[in-house]
Amino acid sequence: MRRAAQNEPQERVDEAVYEELAALMRNPTGSQAGDETPNCSGISRRVFLAKSGLILGAVATGAASLPADEKGTSKAAPPSEPNQHQCALAPDGKLVETDGSKIVAPDRVASQANARQGAPGRKWVMAVDLSACDGCGHCIQACSKMHGVPPNRQWIKVLVMKDAELTAPYYFPQPCFQCDNPPCTKVCPVDATYKRNDGVVLIDNDRCIGCRYCMAACPYGARSFNWGPPKEAGKMAAAPYSPEWGYPRRVGTVEKCDFCPDMAARGVLPACVEACPMKALYYGDQKEDAVTRNGGDTFKLSKLLRDRAAYRHLEELGTEPRVYYLPVVNRAHPAPGEGAQPGQKGSGS
Amino acid sequence: MPPDPVIDSREEELMATLGPLRRSSLWVLLALLAIVGWGVYAYVYQLIHGLAATAMTDYFSWGIYIVNFVFFIGISMAGSVISAVLRLTGAEWRRPITRMAEGITVLALMMGGVMLLVDMGRPDRFLYLVRYGRAPSPILWDLLCLLTYLGGSILYLYLPMIPDLAILRDNGHRFARWRQRLYTVLAMGWRGAPAQKRRLHRATLAMTILIIPVAVSIHTVTAWLFGLTLRTGWHSTIIGPDFVVGALYSGIAAVITAMAVFTKVLRLERFLTADHFRKMGLLLLAAGVTYLYFVVNEYIGAAYLVRTHERKLLEALFMGPYMIPFWSMAMVGLVLPIVMLALPWTRTRSGIVIASILVNLGMWLKRYIVVVPTLSSPFLPRPPMDSGGALVYFPTWVEWSISAAAFAAFVLLYILFSKVFPVVSLWEREEGETLRPPARAAAVRAAPLPASAAVWMLILALAGGPGLAAPSFAGAAASADSPAGEEGVAVSPPHIVLETTVEEGQTLLLATVTRDKRPVESARVSFLVKRTFGLLKLGEDTTLNDGTAAVPFPLDLPADKQGRLHIVAAIMSGPATTVARAEADFSGGHIAVSSTPEPVPRALWAQHAPIPLVVGLFVIVGGVWGTYGFVIYQLACIRKER
Repeated sequence: MRRAAQNEPQERVDEAVYEELAALMRNPTGSQAGDETPNCSGISRRVFLAKSGLILGAVATGAASLPADEKGTSKAAPPSEPNQHQCALAPDGKLVETDGSKIVAPDRVASQANARQGAPGRKWVMAVDLSACDGCGHCIQACSKMHGVPPNRQWIKVLVMKDAELTAPYYFPQPCFQCDNPPCTKVCPVDATYKRNDGVVLIDNDRCIGCRYCMAACPYGARSFNWGPPKEAGKMAAAPYSPEWGYPRRVGTVEKCDFCPDMAARGVLPACVEACPMKALYYGDQKEDAVTRNGGDTFKLSKLLRDRAAYRHLEELGTEPRVYYLPVVNRAHPAPGEGAQPGQKGSGS
Repeated sequence: MPPDPVIDSREEELMATLGPLRRSSLWVLLALLAIVGWGVYAYVYQLIHGLAATAMTDYFSWGIYIVNFVFFIGISMAGSVISAVLRLTGAEWRRPITRMAEGITVLALMMGGVMLLVDMGRPDRFLYLVRYGRAPSPILWDLLCLLTYLGGSILYLYLPMIPDLAILRDNGHRFARWRQRLYTVLAMGWRGAPAQKRRLHRATLAMTILIIPVAVSIHTVTAWLFGLTLRTGWHSTIIGPDFVVGALYSGIAAVITAMAVFTKVLRLERFLTADHFRKMGLLLLAAGVTYLYFVVNEYIGAAYLVRTHERKLLEALFMGPYMIPFWSMAMVGLVLPIVMLALPWTRTRSGIVIASILVNLGMWLKRYIVVVPTLSSPFLPRPPMDSGGALVYFPTWVEWSISAAAFAAFVLLYILFSKVFPVVSLWEREEGETLRPPARAAAVRAAPLPASAAVWMLILALAGGPGLAAPSFAGAAASADSPAGEEGVAVSPPHIVLETTVEEGQTLLLATVTRDKRPVESARVSFLVKRTFGLLKLGEDTTLNDGTAAVPFPLDLPADKQGRLHIVAAIMSGPATTVARAEADFSGGHIAVSSTPEPVPRALWAQHAPIPLVVGLFVIVGGVWGTYGFVIYQLACIRKER
């Protein structure tokens, strides 16, 4: 008789497991040879789109020509050989085997057709572990680098919160909450900012008339305005525009954190999540009931939210944010104003 | 052949107001032109440098352009209240004031629209409002209201002027040629025939009644621009009526100021007597007291409860950076004028005029207090690393210049208006003195239309919540094993075969670990499932002596459309020194029932508005413009019946 198996995974999985597994996943052919079937297991972060009717993100070869390298983590790689069977990751998460010649470098202009609908069958979601955040600001830097956010502007912010006089302060990473009842899209007079099926709220800067009503309507101050002509150069300025990445910027239009939906559809975590050294940021697909943090550790979303008594900020406003906060318990780092202050931390607002 | 004009001395005097300006007035005109020119330069500068030329930041995303917009919309209340309400109630004394009040309405609405355009980050995309207009946006409502009120006000200004224009036409020899032509065209062939009078009266009555709800609607909707946001200090139930009463207050004050100026410049002392000023002063007093009551109501709840975010706002207003504008507004804009108007010995003509000027200043400050301090007290604190944007908003020279130009242009246009059209009605006065219009009784009987605000509220209530289809899941039977991925064998690494099995009614994921075809005991096997961004750990088990390890199959975990889950089993420690793993797809996970893409629901936040909202908008706007069409039809008939 088989004993009852441990069905409750440990709260914090042994990190070594994941590091080794992650290494395995990244380099599937390195340790395994002679596979008869095409190996669809090695889900690389390098992704292609195929032109074979299906839009496929290919695996196991490098991205050839991402218009802006900041978007992907990969470097340029030799183009794939024709007729070589390859596995591809379709935007819906399915692994598909395809002819290598059908796989092409992603065409960002083509993906704009989807920029208003969103990845089918997805609901992107974020969770923030407030205990783990030490306020280092790496998320801000990574985000700003990837999206070309000008200085003095932050798409993700790290606030210092102090709920009451006697309670301890804590760091509060704040991206756009991508609300399910978004007050910003309600008020937009021209449908320039809109809610997609995959849960993301985006802004079309070819449409925005610059009335800034959405900024007034957002209770979280998540939105910024291009007050003057943008100072962009090089790749940022030359890239084709899409609401999914928000550059090149347009003067007199609004922008904000976009949840990196184009990367998510390719299976790549947002820049802020990947950059968080404390692994405080989790990102995933609510429909998969899973979120992943930096390093690849993946958690069951429903269990994480239940076990950690998650909440959404200012729930009473009824905006239904897609960003969940795991409250501070058993602090992993000194509170703001306590202990050594690494880097450029602020001290209270 | 028009009847021989019989011009009495009063008409003579009024027509004299259309004569050329005095030299001193010309200098004023030139100064105003210079200010407007400077403002145009400032606007061009703003177009080149973007709104970065203003002091607005991501925190103070609206500034004095919006303050001016609200102020101009506010004084546009003048026309409807003085003309329509007093006309409906048969207050005869309003006759000399009517037209100048309606002139303020039309010009203020125009300048309000200009301020919105100036505030836009992309004025080049103005027509997107037509092309992509979204029914749930209060900006669109406001724009519709503004255009509707402007159209109605122009009609309402024009209708009672037709007989005057006929008088001017008949005295055409006094005027330049272009004026003769203008008056002839605009007079619509008016002869004063009974049929024409009947039609004009009918049209005027329709407009008189209609303009009141339209006026209420624009102030209410302008208030909703603020009230329908989740902002401390804006989101309140009283903000709609507050704006309406505030608009009454500032509108009456604007009319008194205009009366004073015209009396002086156009020498209208005979028509605008001390009695007119006294009555207007009393109206202003009534509006002021009402507004004071509203302002107290606006702040009492917040000041009494001092809820977290409201406290910050009130501290900023009462004793913080906005102390000076706030207390100036309260004392100079509200209390002082009310006292001046209430006390008989200060309720003189000059006292009333001074009070009205103070009210104008105070109401501009009040709009400033509504717009700016709320933006300075958001729900979330500012980020410590944020170096962008000042903590206090103070407008730049560009903003001051454009604002000054807007006010200068308003005055300039008003002067031009008064020089082309008589600011005091010739005919209506005459009518009031000689004729007893049969309409009066009808006008009194006719109840004003139901306040449009209520209808709007109803639509909003009906619009309801977003109807997102909740994804439902159906369980699927487990089984359908597939053989595990074969692992390459090097220096006899452990080999894992992954399958599913049912034991005691429970579906298990079973991993059998072998090395050189012999079962491996005490190996820790991790079971993981592939998710988009990583591997989700299902559990761990240690192999028994038959080399098997098992965890329950994650039946509750969402899977793809076929219910497949991509499972990975891996050994990371234990007696196995080499990492081994196997992976395979298994059916049995949860399948979302609707695999088709979710349609975007009709919701306030979605691209397509809820149907009740769209229908409501069409009915209301269509009804108002339909009535305008009726009025225009009457005008066409007047033209035919000459």
